[in-house]
Amino acid sequence: MRFFESEEELQEKLRDFITAHKSRLGLVSLEAPLISNLPVWSNIALIRQYHQNMSWHEAKITIDRLLHRMGMDSIAEKRNPSLTKEERFYAMLLRAAMVQDAVLVLDKPFGILTNLRDGHFLMHILEKVDDLIAEAHIFDYSWAKERYGVTADAED
Amino acid sequence: MISAIEQIGRVTLRTSSSVGDTLSFAARVFLRMFERRSYNSASRMVLINQIYFTSVQILPLFLFVAVIFGAIVNGMVFQLIKKIGQTDYLGRLLMGFVVTEISPFVTVLLIALRSSSAINAEIAVMKVNREISTLEIFNIDLIDYLFVPRVLNGILSMVFLSSLFSLVFLSIGLFVSIVIFGTGADAYIDTLLRSASLLDMIIVWFKCAAFGFFITLIPIILGMNASQELTSIPVAVLNGMVKVFSAIIIIEVLSSIVRFI
Repeated sequence: MRFFESEEELQEKLRDFITAHKSRLGLVSLEAPLISNLPVWSNIALIRQYHQNMSWHEAKITIDRLLHRMGMDSIAEKRNPSLTKEERFYAMLLRAAMVQDAVLVLDKPFGILTNLRDGHFLMHILEKVDDLIAEAHIFDYSWAKERYGVTADAED
Repeated sequence: MISAIEQIGRVTLRTSSSVGDTLSFAARVFLRMFERRSYNSASRMVLINQIYFTSVQILPLFLFVAVIFGAIVNGMVFQLIKKIGQTDYLGRLLMGFVVTEISPFVTVLLIALRSSSAINAEIAVMKVNREISTLEIFNIDLIDYLFVPRVLNGILSMVFLSSLFSLVFLSIGLFVSIVIFGTGADAYIDTLLRSASLLDMIIVWFKCAAFGFFITLIPIILGMNASQELTSIPVAVLNGMVKVFSAIIIIEVLSSIVRFI
């Protein structure tokens, strides 16, 4: 986890991090919304279809399994505007996890899940995709530390 | 006087720079169409969807227009030919005017009105919603994923729909020929085949391909010019459609020059 005092500092460090991990970056951020004219499963499948040339059929089976694992089978055919905040977060997380050896970055997750009280939910769903990703990093403001249950200064 | 000349100069520079940018982007997209990596699973899916939206969904309207247009124009042509007694020119008129001029023109107008405007708005909305930057973040090449499938679909749809229009038109011609002249199908087809020229056909296919290429490429370029503001979407669509119609006129004029000179 990385915590920052100001918006400028957070954005600068996030930009540097993105540049350094460009090829393996799996970003979950409001700055990287879902493609609105694609259903959720296509948004997630897009990464593997494009980068690994995975066939439509194989991609559909893979994504259906992943959505089932997350308990989100019902959102496969939904599009971005009709998703709840939680469903949208799941879709963005799975999309990011589709990057090969993904360096997962959660950019201010409480900004996406505005109704979330603390970080337990985040840790719980990160455990669910643990086998799909290589690393996970959270970028947020220092004043949100308590919500993650962190008391020490900014740390990795 | 000097300011007027300066103004003309500015407009000329701006226009030539815009045409230059469009042609250089067109060259990049055109070259990418021949690269294998442009046809990954994701891009193929976009291509299939685009062909469905452009060539299949439009079919009922397209066939309706082709039948109505075919009935009216064939009726007029056959009556006129009969009145002036120049039946020898029937084949040349149908092949040289309808197949090479009318079919591509009506087809490009229908596709431009329906698909070009949709592509323009779609790309502009993606730009405003930051979906374009999402693709860049996930290292998805915009030319491979967004542009090549749309442009290729434009070319294929134009050639297919223009050929279909000609086929419907000439089939109605056959019906009118039997009713007005009382001639058989063999005589009608023989007249058409004798009037068909391979060079004309090649020029028509090139013209259709050029129409398809530019009426999809220009909306993409103008859509990408949208800013992050919602109000830039109608401006992008408006500018795009004006440029699409300018391109149609330019291609039409150039193909006529090639054909007749």
